[in-house]
Amino acid sequence: MKPPKLNPGASANQRSHRAKKELLMPLGLPAEMPSDWQAVALRKLDELRHQYRSLQLYLDICVRCGACADKCQFFLGTGDPNNMPVARAELLRKVYRRYFTPSGKLGGRLAAAEDLTDKVLDEWYAYFYQCSECRRCAVFCPYGIDTAEITMAAREIMASVGVATKYVTEVVKKAHEIGNNLGIPEAAWRDSCQFLEEEMKEETGADIKIPVNQPGAEVLLVPPSADLFANTDTMIGYAKLFHAAGVSWTTSTYASEAGNFGLFLNYEHLKKVNKRLVDAAKQLKVKRLVIGECGHAWRAAQAFMDTLNGPLDFLDAPRPEHICEFAARLIRDGRVKLNKTANDGVVVTYHDPCNVARAGGMLEEPREILRAVVSDFREMPADTIRERTFCCGAGGGMLADELMDVRMKGAKPRVEAFKTTGANFLATPCAICKAQLPVAFQHHGVEAQVGGVMDLLGKAIVI
Amino acid sequence: MAALIYLSVAVFLLGMGWRVFTWLRAPVPLKIPLTPGPTTAAGVVGRMAGEVFLFRSLFDADRTLWVAAWIFHVSLVLLAVGHVAGLVVPDFAASTLDLTPAQFSHLAYVTGGVFGILAVVPLIYLFIRRFTMERVRHVSTLSDYLALALLFFAIQTGNHMRFMGDLDIVQAREFVAGLLTFRPVPPPHSGPFVAHMLLVCVLVAYIPFSKLMHLGGIFFSPTLNQPNDSRQQRHVNPWDHEASKA
Repeated sequence: MKPPKLNPGASANQRSHRAKKELLMPLGLPAEMPSDWQAVALRKLDELRHQYRSLQLYLDICVRCGACADKCQFFLGTGDPNNMPVARAELLRKVYRRYFTPSGKLGGRLAAAEDLTDKVLDEWYAYFYQCSECRRCAVFCPYGIDTAEITMAAREIMASVGVATKYVTEVVKKAHEIGNNLGIPEAAWRDSCQFLEEEMKEETGADIKIPVNQPGAEVLLVPPSADLFANTDTMIGYAKLFHAAGVSWTTSTYASEAGNFGLFLNYEHLKKVNKRLVDAAKQLKVKRLVIGECGHAWRAAQAFMDTLNGPLDFLDAPRPEHICEFAARLIRDGRVKLNKTANDGVVVTYHDPCNVARAGGMLEEPREILRAVVSDFREMPADTIRERTFCCGAGGGMLADELMDVRMKGAKPRVEAFKTTGANFLATPCAICKAQLPVAFQHHGVEAQVGGVMDLLGKAIVI
Repeated sequence: MAALIYLSVAVFLLGMGWRVFTWLRAPVPLKIPLTPGPTTAAGVVGRMAGEVFLFRSLFDADRTLWVAAWIFHVSLVLLAVGHVAGLVVPDFAASTLDLTPAQFSHLAYVTGGVFGILAVVPLIYLFIRRFTMERVRHVSTLSDYLALALLFFAIQTGNHMRFMGDLDIVQAREFVAGLLTFRPVPPPHSGPFVAHMLLVCVLVAYIPFSKLMHLGGIFFSPTLNQPNDSRQQRHVNPWDHEASKA
């Protein structure tokens, strides 16, 4: 996509609803902004720059070369200069310079330093929640400066003074209280599993189970909870895979969510949400922990879980494992029989979810599976896939209705790339992409289906 | 003059030392390499070498900028090497290259001239780019222009001496030798020489307080220098005591 002309303030009004005290207090966040909020926020910034080398370094070394500027889908879509990664980061840098560097303390505005005011906080709230923490900018930065690290720090600082979004805090609260982001209680979980079992029985005639809380199973599968309601074909895909390969497995109603919105709020909640998965795996005495089709879940699991709540050596390696790795291995080993013709008419392309590609390093397995189950697999242009993939436009806690305008604009680079393929099915292992892209397709006038890798695998598996 | 040079070098060393200290004192609590990335230490060395010597990421990001940036940085390094060869160890350099003093000075003239020009032309491009490209102009700060200006004039005064030929190279060598042996002698009587030295002093002292510290910072960037081995090797967060004791 060609970079747009700058349109200052174009998406300044795209803001998530603010979390009120009913959501802030249960998460241990201040119910109201303290009267000395600047001091609290600056203390938090100081603390974080001592805790994260990434933050300290990335505040210091940016040369503002602009290599990242036209790489962000939110800038490409909105033209708002504050959505250029370098400018987004400068929103925090100018405050860092003002209070923590000699040049900023002495030079003030001349040194591009600025006081932390209500206006600055307001900008932070708008633009650090218009970053999906997708890391595409970092791929192109000559120093690997990852704006996601800056965004996460800014969100953590804001949270420390009681400024957070309703969407993210609501989801985190549900994950703590119920075990999943949708707030599905155990009874409803069991019902849905049973319903899908009946559906599969009707389709295949076989008794394919979706086990719940089954101790001693080989695999604990933790899907995004959306797979049980919105993306049921994905759930059916998992079930058929385990059934066909003869692998015992279970879901857990304690850890019924792979996604981790703590990642979009602060370290404490990232860790706490993550812990449920480890505890469930221990309690159910499984050998393997397999993560379902959720993008940022894969980052939280493969990159952070061992650090946050490990050691994970009670599990068999690789720990944890992604469902696509697991499935690709079973296919390679000939453990499942596939019939490509079941997907005849499907022209598929693969959308790398940002976290799976750039933060989870999984690029080959989903493609390997798709090539095995569909006869017509096509790639989108090379600068829009693999580690250069565009975010769907709703990751990082942006899948809120009130952000629809910036979401649709942010999705445009992905949709444009999709259009070049002639595909009629976009496969992607991420519940957020699956929720966002159908809306974006409709918005941008594209008629195509969006689904999981497991959806197509499930259809091709011979039972 | 000598005092100023010592001062600027001291500011540079202490300033960069402090910077590196602030980077190192902050741990890297989580694994955040950009993936797919190398899984081994040797792989990381390869990735870093690609970034440091070839500007790999920038190559993919902006080809024109890459050409300018790469030529500039390479020229700058070669100019620094040339200064050492020509001013500090001319006899050693000439004999290593198997050249007579006259041949060596001719070589110095050509290479110094070529890289002197190759260093300033990209700077002019970077300045124009910063000024005319809307996106970059929007994020540019005074310090960005200041860094370009300092570099430009520091190199340009050097070029001036080279092409206008008003520097007594023997005097310059004696001055440098004096500095290095801490027995300073007066600098050559040359306006451009003094201007060159002053600008370089300011530039060197400015590095730790500006974005120019990226020359050291890049080596510490966790997205680049961490191996992607979170599932092979447990990464410990030193400030999360509950997690690190397990």
